[in-house]
Amino acid sequence: MNTRAITNLLLVGIGLGILVLFPKISGFHLPGNQKDYSPVQPIAFSHRLHAGELSVPCIYCHYGAERSRHAGVPSFSVCMNCHRFVTATFGAVRAEDELAQKEKRDPRRVVSPEILKIYDAMGLDESMKRDPSKPLTPVSWIKVHNLPDFVYFDHRRHVNVGVECQRCHGPVETMERVTQVLDLSMGFCVNCHRDITKNGLNGKSVNASIDCGGCHY
Amino acid sequence: MPGNDRKSLEERDGDPDFLRGPEDEFPEVPATEGGRTGFSRRSFLKAAGFATAGALMGCKPAPLKKAIPYLIPAEEITPGRAYWYASMCGACPAGCGILIKNRDGRPIKLEGNPAHPLARGGLCVVGQAAVLGLYDSQRLKAPVSGGKESSWPAVDEAIRGRLKKIRASRGKVRFLTGTITSPTARRMISSFMASFADGKQVVYDALSASAILDAHEASHGARVLPRYLFDRADCIVSFDADFLGTWISPVEYTAGYTAKRALPALSHHTQIESRLSLTGSNADKRIRVGPSDIGLVLAHLARRLAEDAGSPLSFRTLPPLPIDTGALNEMIERLLSNRGKSLVVSGLNDVDAQRLVNLVNHILGNYGTTLDVKRPSYQKQGNDRDLYALLDDMESGEVAGIFLHGVNPVYDLPDGTRFAAAMKKVGLVVGFAERSDETASLAHHICPEHHFLESWSDAEPVAGILTITQPAIRPLGGTRSLMESISAWMGTPKADYDLLREAWRSSVFTRQTLERSYQAFWDKTVHDGYAMVGATPVGTHPFSSSVMKGVPGPRPAEWTLVLYAKIGLLDGRHAHNPWLQELPDPISKITWDNYVNVSPATAARFGISDGDVLRIAAGSVAVELPAHVQPGQHDAVASIALGYGRKGTDRFANVGPQWLEGRPTVPEGGLVGKNAAPFRGFDGRSIQDWKPGVTVTRTGRRYDLASAQTYHSLSVPERMRGANPEPRPIVQEATLDAFLKNPAAGATRGEDPASLWPEDHKYTGARWGMAIDLSACTGCGACVVACQAENNVPVVGKDEVRRRREMHWIRIDRYYAERGNGDVGVVFQPVMCHQCGNAPCETVCPVLATVHSSEGLNQQVYNRCVGTRYCANNCPYKVRRFNWFDYPHEDKLQNMVLNPDVTIRSRGIMEKCTFCVQRIQEAKAEARRQGRTLMDGDVQPACMQSCPAKAIAFGNANDPESTVSKRKRDPRWYRVLAELNVDPSVGYLRVIRNREEG
Repeated sequence: MNTRAITNLLLVGIGLGILVLFPKISGFHLPGNQKDYSPVQPIAFSHRLHAGELSVPCIYCHYGAERSRHAGVPSFSVCMNCHRFVTATFGAVRAEDELAQKEKRDPRRVVSPEILKIYDAMGLDESMKRDPSKPLTPVSWIKVHNLPDFVYFDHRRHVNVGVECQRCHGPVETMERVTQVLDLSMGFCVNCHRDITKNGLNGKSVNASIDCGGCHY
Repeated sequence: MPGNDRKSLEERDGDPDFLRGPEDEFPEVPATEGGRTGFSRRSFLKAAGFATAGALMGCKPAPLKKAIPYLIPAEEITPGRAYWYASMCGACPAGCGILIKNRDGRPIKLEGNPAHPLARGGLCVVGQAAVLGLYDSQRLKAPVSGGKESSWPAVDEAIRGRLKKIRASRGKVRFLTGTITSPTARRMISSFMASFADGKQVVYDALSASAILDAHEASHGARVLPRYLFDRADCIVSFDADFLGTWISPVEYTAGYTAKRALPALSHHTQIESRLSLTGSNADKRIRVGPSDIGLVLAHLARRLAEDAGSPLSFRTLPPLPIDTGALNEMIERLLSNRGKSLVVSGLNDVDAQRLVNLVNHILGNYGTTLDVKRPSYQKQGNDRDLYALLDDMESGEVAGIFLHGVNPVYDLPDGTRFAAAMKKVGLVVGFAERSDETASLAHHICPEHHFLESWSDAEPVAGILTITQPAIRPLGGTRSLMESISAWMGTPKADYDLLREAWRSSVFTRQTLERSYQAFWDKTVHDGYAMVGATPVGTHPFSSSVMKGVPGPRPAEWTLVLYAKIGLLDGRHAHNPWLQELPDPISKITWDNYVNVSPATAARFGISDGDVLRIAAGSVAVELPAHVQPGQHDAVASIALGYGRKGTDRFANVGPQWLEGRPTVPEGGLVGKNAAPFRGFDGRSIQDWKPGVTVTRTGRRYDLASAQTYHSLSVPERMRGANPEPRPIVQEATLDAFLKNPAAGATRGEDPASLWPEDHKYTGARWGMAIDLSACTGCGACVVACQAENNVPVVGKDEVRRRREMHWIRIDRYYAERGNGDVGVVFQPVMCHQCGNAPCETVCPVLATVHSSEGLNQQVYNRCVGTRYCANNCPYKVRRFNWFDYPHEDKLQNMVLNPDVTIRSRGIMEKCTFCVQRIQEAKAEARRQGRTLMDGDVQPACMQSCPAKAIAFGNANDPESTVSKRKRDPRWYRVLAELNVDPSVGYLRVIRNREEG
């Protein structure tokens, strides 16, 4: 092999090295790293409004996190616990009230177009009655936080020991649309496990195992 | 007999091919094939390079993953959690209680229900594999009429119309079924049949026990099958009954049998048989006689006992005793000293022999203790004479309509072709088969039934013990249950659930007194999976011995053919299940085929060797099958397994990897094995599974059997033993007498305490360990299939098994020990990854894909493995399995059975047993959720859970109170290959047999 080929190879190598070692500069992610992933969801659900402004606990909707491997996406029956009564934002309802007062009529029911999607999926008309002509159509959300198939992450174990959701999911309560803020790589997991084993969690001592078989089987 | 145990005849005889085995553990091509491939290393690297480049060019972001929640979830469901439902296994009529594991709406695993009074938590191979049968895409999805797919209204219309005509003409209608243990279904059939002028249910079992019922009709006045209580028997004599393997209710019997084999007390078990059965291989004393002489030994036994009891039998002259008189005296002495605590059983389907068995049990006072005829078993109800009467009626054209449920007479009767011809003379033939099998394909209509995991039903396998079968999934196809079909034809269509509720309210609820409210009783039964209710004792008259007339006479012949049922395949009803086809037979270790067993002496005499194709002929019936030389078999016997050659098994042509050198599991257009049922015979009273006077000839052709017998050997070839000529004490065995004198009897060599390893690996938390009681293990193989279901272990196909690439994570090694006189002793040893403390595999992995956990597990990290196979080469236990290919399910629907908690391993990586680490993690997570610590028994690996004999114990060896720790303190405890200082976490308890020294 001549020197020129070696030089070329080295240059390519250095280039790739920079891309990999300084991802902030290049915006380059290793395959499988979906940091900053923020897909558009079929319903513009705002975690900022629900979890932030209204302070709904995460576990209220993602109730699987306490008892199952998966936190789960809530079914619409959970949404309907509130949205049977709450059909639009407070601002929109007040605006309609004021308009009705001005026009000297009864206020009309205001239904936000996003919440209407829930009613459509459940086959309900605007007055919350089952409309037999509408089919029941579950909505396909797009999963944001994905781990490879060979990783078995168990929400139950983390939630029950007191790890707060934000530790892996970031400040979801401030997000209009959910974005993956951490790379969720194995290094991220292991560093946290080591740290907790050494320093404890919320003042308790916890043995966070770093055995391979804890997650890979 | 330590040191004399051999895995095979080749090892004993020093066959050079075999001895090369352990040296050449990973041969490139199997020993039977010569030559190498034309694919050089250089061209491989080239191709690999291109493939990598191609794969990189295809790189793109991960595909969108969707999360689709339920709109309104069922109250009890949380996605990701497993739910368990109590039900009953319907894979055979034994009626073992099961728990169905449901994940996300799919049943993925069946386990024995520990609370169930019959099976007591165990489940056999067939039950374990039955869940795969649910996802069989060959099952009919709609009714079939005249060979074409039809609809239920159309079929009902046609059948009802036809039945109307039959009613008008007062024609004969017959409902031919296998044993139905469901009281509700039986009642519906009888009321359906009662609606005809001449309607009757006829029952027959392919594996018939008709003679036992007939004999009890003669001796006790009730045609019943007694319930055999092996857990009360201190002395068992079995005349050719394979009660631990395939006879009537093997899981129930195994549980009872092993309950009586808890040291230091040990029952005594004598087995008199012509071929080496699973039961015979576990016997304390095994007497090898020809099939015709089994009845003769029984007659001698009965005569002697009757004389002792002072009521001699009418037959004074008998042909001479074919066995040593001493052995008979010993047997009699033992039986007499265990009056009321002994049990004599016979698998011979011969009424005379069964009458003698009844007499013997009567004289010994066993009725009421070890045999219960007052609360009998309903696990076999067949009547062979009725069946043949029906066949005659059909042939004479008298039968106007016939319904066929759970039977396949065209396939499994000796006169299958006769039955097929007679079916043509019947005006209306309706089948209920799940697939278009040999018989159903000749029916006018097929009304396919649900799988037992899809429907409501009930069962009363033993009087007073009722079980509810509940559905665990909505039916996958448009099938309909038997009860619904009958109710539709009777003009009052109802759902099976409603029918069952009504029937239970009127006929079961009234038999119990514990619950006041029917709803509470129903809920409790569905939840528990069973109910114990009162049973009216069967009316029997005092034992009548006046009927002792015939004696099973000897019919000497050079060759006698014996047909037997094999674990897994049974009568062939599960022949379409790849897990069962690939399960090595417990004795022969052969997969995917049936074959002719011949004894070593006979093989030597006729120059037969393994794989020689033999032609077995009797009259007009002939079959050509490869030979297998089977130690322990009688010299005049050739034996063939039933259940092979089923229609539709040609599907397995596509099982396993399809590659250049791959050979299909079944040849083009062929089937798996050959059907041996035409050799069966009917003697006017019962169906016989043996045939004297067959001719055996060599065809000169050869056939490769796929055997898992000779590989994964732990022994060291003699040439390589060097300075240490002592063979490795892999299985250790002692007699009861020796054990009572010295609990450590049978131990050969202590462990070597010297170690080069630093003691730097502290196990501060749990240290998982396993202890296997080899005395309890019967070798049934339930653990193998349980592991396969739990851990997504693939099926590789016959060709790959032949290439030593089978994938089972747990195998059962079978060792023979010479007992002289052509007989062998057998020891079974389940072997899985031993999770060594100083694991040889860990030190050689260049990429740290196999590393030690803080709890003593030998972790295998699939995503890290690059497939060097160094670890497998360095493993002394030969338990690592390499994925030479991807092994997708041949039937894509069967992907539904995959356990979502275990990674599907891809091509090119190593896998092995991990003590079901997913279950350990699940148990830990649940314990934490409930705020408690992990307790002994919280974690049960699949193998341990399924074991009918409770031979496997698993737990934390750091906890001195755990079962494993207790077993570790047992004097029988030893570890295999511990002298290598690998510090295995798996240990065994030595085999103790109740036999005399020698």
